[in-house]
Amino acid sequence: MAAAKLSVLSAALVGAAGGLLLLSLAFPWWGMNFIAPQYPEGLEIVVYPNKLEGDIEIINGLNHYIGMKPFSEESFPELGYLSYIVIAMAIAAFIVALTRSKSGLYVLIAVFLIGGALGIYDIHRWLVDFGTNLNDSAPIDIEPFVPPIFGENRIANFTTFSYFATGAYIVGVAFVCLLVPLWKERKK
Amino acid sequence: MKKKVISALSGLAVGVLASTVFFGNFSTPDTVSNASAKTDAEKVYVPFGEKDEYYLFASGGHSGQMFIYGVPSMRRIRTVPVFSPDSATGYGWDAHSKKMLGGYTWGDLHHPAFSETNGEYDGKYMFATDVANSRAAVMDLKTFTVKDIIEVPNTSGPHCAAFVTENTEYLFLPTRFSVPLGHQYASLDEYSEKYRGVMSAVTFNEKAQKLHIAYQVALPPWSYDLSDAGKKISKDWAVLTTYNTEEATTNLEINASQEDRDFIVLFNWKELENMVKEGKYDNVGGQKMIFPEKHKGGIYLVPVAKSPHGVDVTPDGKYFIASGKLAPLLTVFSFEKAFQAIEKKEFAGERNGIPILKYESVMEREVNPENALGPLHTQFDDKGMAYTTMFISSEVVKWNPETGEVLDRVPVQYSPGHAVAAEGDTVSPDGKYLVSLNKLAKDSYLSVGPSHPESMQLIDISGEKMKVIQSSPVDPEPHYGQMIKADKIKTVEVYPKDENHPNAVYNQKDARIVRKGNEVHVYGIAMRSKFIFDANAKRPDVIEVNEGDKVVVHLTNLDFDEDITHGFAINQYNLNMEIQPGQTNTIEFTADKPGTYPLYCTNFCSALHQEMTGYLLVKPKQ
Repeated sequence: MAAAKLSVLSAALVGAAGGLLLLSLAFPWWGMNFIAPQYPEGLEIVVYPNKLEGDIEIINGLNHYIGMKPFSEESFPELGYLSYIVIAMAIAAFIVALTRSKSGLYVLIAVFLIGGALGIYDIHRWLVDFGTNLNDSAPIDIEPFVPPIFGENRIANFTTFSYFATGAYIVGVAFVCLLVPLWKERKK
Repeated sequence: MKKKVISALSGLAVGVLASTVFFGNFSTPDTVSNASAKTDAEKVYVPFGEKDEYYLFASGGHSGQMFIYGVPSMRRIRTVPVFSPDSATGYGWDAHSKKMLGGYTWGDLHHPAFSETNGEYDGKYMFATDVANSRAAVMDLKTFTVKDIIEVPNTSGPHCAAFVTENTEYLFLPTRFSVPLGHQYASLDEYSEKYRGVMSAVTFNEKAQKLHIAYQVALPPWSYDLSDAGKKISKDWAVLTTYNTEEATTNLEINASQEDRDFIVLFNWKELENMVKEGKYDNVGGQKMIFPEKHKGGIYLVPVAKSPHGVDVTPDGKYFIASGKLAPLLTVFSFEKAFQAIEKKEFAGERNGIPILKYESVMEREVNPENALGPLHTQFDDKGMAYTTMFISSEVVKWNPETGEVLDRVPVQYSPGHAVAAEGDTVSPDGKYLVSLNKLAKDSYLSVGPSHPESMQLIDISGEKMKVIQSSPVDPEPHYGQMIKADKIKTVEVYPKDENHPNAVYNQKDARIVRKGNEVHVYGIAMRSKFIFDANAKRPDVIEVNEGDKVVVHLTNLDFDEDITHGFAINQYNLNMEIQPGQTNTIEFTADKPGTYPLYCTNFCSALHQEMTGYLLVKPKQ
C-alpha cells in the first residue's frame, strides 16, 4: 500500500485546505442586504460560523409588521457548534496531510460534499421557516415566501440580495485544494 | 475641363460653408469648473445628495432658539430650542429640559459662541446667553441638544456675552443692565453708588457637562454691549464695549449719548484668575466678586467714540476694532501699544477706580469710509481683510485693517446688525462666505402682513469684490451667528446603549410599571409602532393610576435606527416629549384630573404611526 501515499505536493495542498478552513472562521460566510426607498444605504444581516452581525434589531423591528418571528443568535443552534465542525474538518485535513493517506483524502472529500450540501439545506430550511411561518395577526398580510440562498428577491418595499461571503469563498478554495490532489493522483 | 473644375470646387466650397454654418460648434469650451464663472444660482444650489459646506448657527433672539442653516444653500435645517419651551421637541416638558428652563417660558438668545481649541472652533459645543433672564446655556453638538443652563446672579441681561477664550478656559458674560448686587431694591437716585454692571466668568466642565461661575467682576454701573477675546499675542486679554458711562438713569436715548467718548474695557483674565487664587475678592451671595476699585490691576479703560457696539479682535490678535455706532469712524486699536502704555503706566487718570489709557497712545489708525454711517460689527476673511456692517447706511464695507484702505462696499437690504463670516472670528477665518444679518426685510419677500421676518443675505467674499448671492428670510431675530466648516461637527445618529442607565429598558420584555406608595414609575419602551409600558399586562400600552398619584414615565426608544424619533403625548394633560432613537427620556406629572386620556406618539414614525396609541386611566378618588 506504500504506493497509495499522496505526493508531497498533494499532501501540502490538503494541509493548506485545513489552514484555509481555520482561516474561514474569521470571516462571514453568508449575508443578506435589504434595500428600500427609506433605506438607500441598506440594512444587512451578516452570518459568521459562530455569530450574527448587522442591523438585526432594526430588521426584526421591521419584520414584525409582516409577522415574521424575531431572530437572534439564540434562534440558530448551528452557530453554537458549526465552528467546532469546521475545526474538526481542519484537523482531519491535517491528519490526512501528515499521513498522506489517499483513502483519507477520499473520505475527506466525501465529508466535505455531504457537509456542504447539509449546510446549504440548513440555510434553506431556516429561510423557509422564517418566510412561511408568519403570524396571522400581523398588520401587513403577505403571501409566505422563501428568499433565495443566492440572489435577489422582493418583499414589500424591500429588495433583498442574498450572497455568499468571504468565508464561504475561502471554504470553496479549500475544497479546490482537496480536488487538485484527487486529479493529480488519478490512475494513469 | 477648367470650367468643370471651378464649378466642382465652388460647389465643394458652398457645401463646406453650409455645413459649417449649420453644424459647426462656435461655443467656447465648457467653463463650469471655473468657480468665478458660476452664476449666483449655481453658487447657492446644493443638489439632493450633496450637503452644504458650512453650518450657520443663527441666534434666534427673543424666540429663545437657535436656528441652524446650511451655507451656501441658506436652507434652514433645524430649530434648536435653548431658552424657551418648544412643543415640537417636547423641550420644556420632559423632566431634564423642564428643570433646566427653571420655570421661564421665554428667553432672548443673543450672541452664540463655539467652543475653541487654540483659537479655532473645535465643533464640540455651542454656548449661548439669555439677555431676558440672565442665563447661560451649553449645547452638545453631537446631538444638537442643550445639556445645561445656569442662571447668573448679581447681573441682569448678559447682552455683552458670550465670548470664549482661546481654549475655552472661560466663557465671559458681561452685562447690558446694571443692577444692585443681589438684585436688591435701591433707588435710581443711588445709581452710581449702588448699581453695578457685573461680569461673570463661567467655566464648563466637559465631563459632567455642567456650567459653573468661577468668579464675578463688579464693573462700574454702565452698560456693556459687545466683547471679544484676544488671540495669539493678546490671548490672555479680552475687550468689551461700554455705553452710558454717563450713568444716566432715564431716557438713555438722549442722556446716554451726551459724552463724546465711552470706553472699551480691556482686561487680563489671567490676572483676574490669579487675584481670585490669591483671595483678592469679596464674597457676595456665595459668589467670588472682584471689585476693581479695591482689588486693583488687570482692568483698564480705553476711550472710544461714543456708544460703540462691536469690538472685534483681528485674526492675528494684534488689533481690536471698535467704532461709535452713530459715527462714521472705525478705530483700529493696537494691543501692543496698549501693553506698552500699561507697562509705562501712561494713564490719563481713573474712572471708578480703573486706570484710563490715552486714546492717542492705543489708537493705531482711524478709518473713515466716505458717507458710511453706523458701523456695528466686524468680521474677517482668510487674508485678514475686515468686513464691517453699517447699520445706518445699510451696507457692508470691506477694508484693510493694516492700511485703512477701503476696498469695496455692497448695499444690503436692510440695516445689518451683525455679520458672520466663515469661521470669521477665529485665528484663521476661511473667507468664502459672509452672511449679513439684516434687521429689516421690508419688501424683500412675499408679504405676511405688518410683522415682517428678518433677512439674512449671503455674500460671496471669495473675490476682490463682494457679491450678494442669496437672500433668506429668518424668524426674529438673528443678532449674531457662528459659521463653522461642516466636517468639524461630528453628530451621532442614534444614542448608544447605556447599560448603566437606571431608567433605560433595552428589552421590551422588561417593560414594567412599579408603584411606590402614591408614586407610579413606568419603565416603558417605544418602538415602531407601539408603546409597551408593562410587558405582562393584559393591555401593555395602558397606564392606570389613581387620582393624585405622582406619575413618572421613563421611555426608551428601541428603534436604534436613523431618524426614527418617537413622541409621547397625553391628551388634555398638556404633556409632550420627544424620545430620539436609542434615547431614554422621562416625563413627570401629577395625575390630578380623573378620567380617561388617550396617549399617542406625536412624531410620525411609521406606516402605523396613527395606531401608536394607548390610554392613561386615572381612577377618581373614592
